[in-house]
Amino acid sequence: MIEETNKKVELDEALYRPIYETGKGFYLTVGVLLLIIFITLFIYIRQVYYGLGVTGMNQPITWGFYIVNFVFFIGISHAGTLISAILRLSKAEWRRPITRMAEVITAIVLAIGGLHPILDLGRPDRVLEIFTAGRLQSPLLWDVTSITAYFTASTVYLYLPMIPDIAKLRDRGGKMVWFYEFLAWGWYGTEHQKKVLSRAINILMVMVIPIAISVHTVISYIFSMTLQPGWHSTIFGPYFVVGAIFSGIAALLIVMIAFRRFFHLENYLKLIHFRYLGTLLLIMSLLWFYFTFSEYLTGIFGSEPHEMDVIFYKFTGTYAIFFWGMVVCNFLIPVVILAFKKFKTIKGILIASISVVIGMWLERLNIVIPSLANPRMGLETGMYIPSLTEWSLFIGAIAVFVLGYVLFSKFFPIISIWEIEEGRKESVEEVEKRVKSYLPGPANVTE
Amino acid sequence: MPKWAMAIDLDKCTGCGDCMAACKLENNIAIVDPEQADEGRVMLWMDMMTIYEGEYPNIKVKRIPKPCFHCDNPPCIKVCPVHATYINEEGLVGQIYNRCIGCRYCMAACPYTAKVFNWYEPEWADEFKTCMNPDVSMRMKGVVEKCSFCAHRLLKVKETADVDDRQIADGEYMPACADSCPADAIFFGDLENKESKVYQLSNSPRAFRELENLGTIPKVFYLSERE
Amino acid sequence: MMKYINRNLRDKLIFTAQYLSISLMWVFVIGITLWIINLIYLSVDLKDAPGISIGISLVAIPVFLTLAGILTYVFVGFHSKGKNNFINTPGD
Repeated sequence: MIEETNKKVELDEALYRPIYETGKGFYLTVGVLLLIIFITLFIYIRQVYYGLGVTGMNQPITWGFYIVNFVFFIGISHAGTLISAILRLSKAEWRRPITRMAEVITAIVLAIGGLHPILDLGRPDRVLEIFTAGRLQSPLLWDVTSITAYFTASTVYLYLPMIPDIAKLRDRGGKMVWFYEFLAWGWYGTEHQKKVLSRAINILMVMVIPIAISVHTVISYIFSMTLQPGWHSTIFGPYFVVGAIFSGIAALLIVMIAFRRFFHLENYLKLIHFRYLGTLLLIMSLLWFYFTFSEYLTGIFGSEPHEMDVIFYKFTGTYAIFFWGMVVCNFLIPVVILAFKKFKTIKGILIASISVVIGMWLERLNIVIPSLANPRMGLETGMYIPSLTEWSLFIGAIAVFVLGYVLFSKFFPIISIWEIEEGRKESVEEVEKRVKSYLPGPANVTE
Repeated sequence: MPKWAMAIDLDKCTGCGDCMAACKLENNIAIVDPEQADEGRVMLWMDMMTIYEGEYPNIKVKRIPKPCFHCDNPPCIKVCPVHATYINEEGLVGQIYNRCIGCRYCMAACPYTAKVFNWYEPEWADEFKTCMNPDVSMRMKGVVEKCSFCAHRLLKVKETADVDDRQIADGEYMPACADSCPADAIFFGDLENKESKVYQLSNSPRAFRELENLGTIPKVFYLSERE
Repeated sequence: MMKYINRNLRDKLIFTAQYLSISLMWVFVIGITLWIINLIYLSVDLKDAPGISIGISLVAIPVFLTLAGILTYVFVGFHSKGKNNFINTPGD
């Protein structure tokens, strides 16, 4: 019995290694990231002291990088839901090594994204006004509610499937046993506990999907509920959700490839996982293109003058390079790479994912700035040049994301060990039974 | 309940810009330094739109003074998360400087770009500090502000009218821009008062409003034979 | 760690910490509920489209309550029969 347990532990030893062994690389990475974050904090405090004038925003472009990054980061948070919830719901077995990475992305990126509107405020010291004098009629408050709900739900949804793994860490001993014991909530793998946990996860995985869809729909409402040309479009809700899932999958792929390389997880994150996710990325790219095409065809066909101002600004005007860059990054590069098996290697998928992340950031830029830069009534077109402050806060936000991820992987296994074990022990039979039940024959053969 | 509205006669307006200057002085609006002004951060509650139409040599120039239109269906109040911008019963769209958190959503939502933002702490040269208007509250950095139809003048006039136990007469309450216009192109008054100048002008065949199709119901009427 | 001294005391401390964590979740969720109710009251008072506030609260408040409920269900479920089975089979 003891030898069996030892053998089992050794099977997944690679997943425990990052927690128990800390190399120089870890300290160096954390050190550099902390330095970047401290500098960013200083720059932000400077912005609060002097006012938002230190940014590049002006009249009429009153929203800039902070809102672009807000939408961008919250968009990436859809990675967790899609993979974890939908794949769990559809009983896709290849999700097992991926779910935790995806859920962690969501939790960290939601926190970062949710902070961005506060970074954008002219009076962040008054943010508590939202609680004392808020208006639920404003799309911004729909956002606050929705993001809080999603953050809570995804944190719970990250935590619950982590409990058996935390219990494993507690039982292994070594370091910080009291911490893992506290978090394990008394899990000992009994039948009753397993039932409770699986029931809770099943309820959550269904609940999380509409909450996640509502988050990015509500963010799109910030724009579509105004009367501005280029914003007041009914397609924004689904458009943003598709874009979010698109950028989320790309970010997840990048994270997976990074961890596969740095933690030597080639046995767990195999080419097939990347190929499947790559196919999903391809589908989302085509969907994204369909929505974008619809949006602009509608605008151009109607030829409403203010709408056309914004469209020409994007197609041939100042923002042409960003707009067409976005189309290349979001559609041309991913489709070429992902549609052909020859290019669909891990390196190719990495290039496609990075391209999509950049392209989706450009898309957020193309949504926020051009409509603001082209005010109605023949007023002058505005110009927006982001300042050093805004770039620093962008880099700082990315640094916070990376740091959060690195710290998470130091304390918890980045791949769900118990789900891999469950996959080894139970899934093969279960899937065999399931497939047999699809095939022709009397109903009670497999039962 | 009076409903305050403005009528601007574009056929009389010479585009001199007196209304802009009067507004800035009356409302203690910050003077923005030239660099910032170049970047597009000029703070004007009464803006003067200069619109060029046509190609040389057939260029048409339009100079249109643009205050806040104090819409009856304002898009800005719908989106404010903290109720810092609101419409009162007399049709004035107000801004609570002490509550504004500076999210600038109202600025993004206004189709007329009527609102301005304090990107830095407002500063004045020493010479200006002696001619500030004590009736108008000073704003601080990070809040949105806009034309208020000189509501502080309304408060004063209301007090006087209450003391004398009468209604406000037509022409008694005039914002600074209307007062200062040398061409008498800006009219101001109560739309509910059928005898007021503004009511009559609003029904003139020359009257139009900007972007009426958006349904914002602006309360500044422009009068022009050209449009 | 100091907690190795007394096994029983350590277990009790950890259980209290876990209990506190779930209580914090309820504090958070009830806080949000109270906040939303405050905003509904404000919107009714100011006659500022109260229908929307009530509509949003009808969706948002049950979501938060359900999340807290699920966590509590898991917490209670783990600690109720889990303790009994611990005597029989210490882990799997």
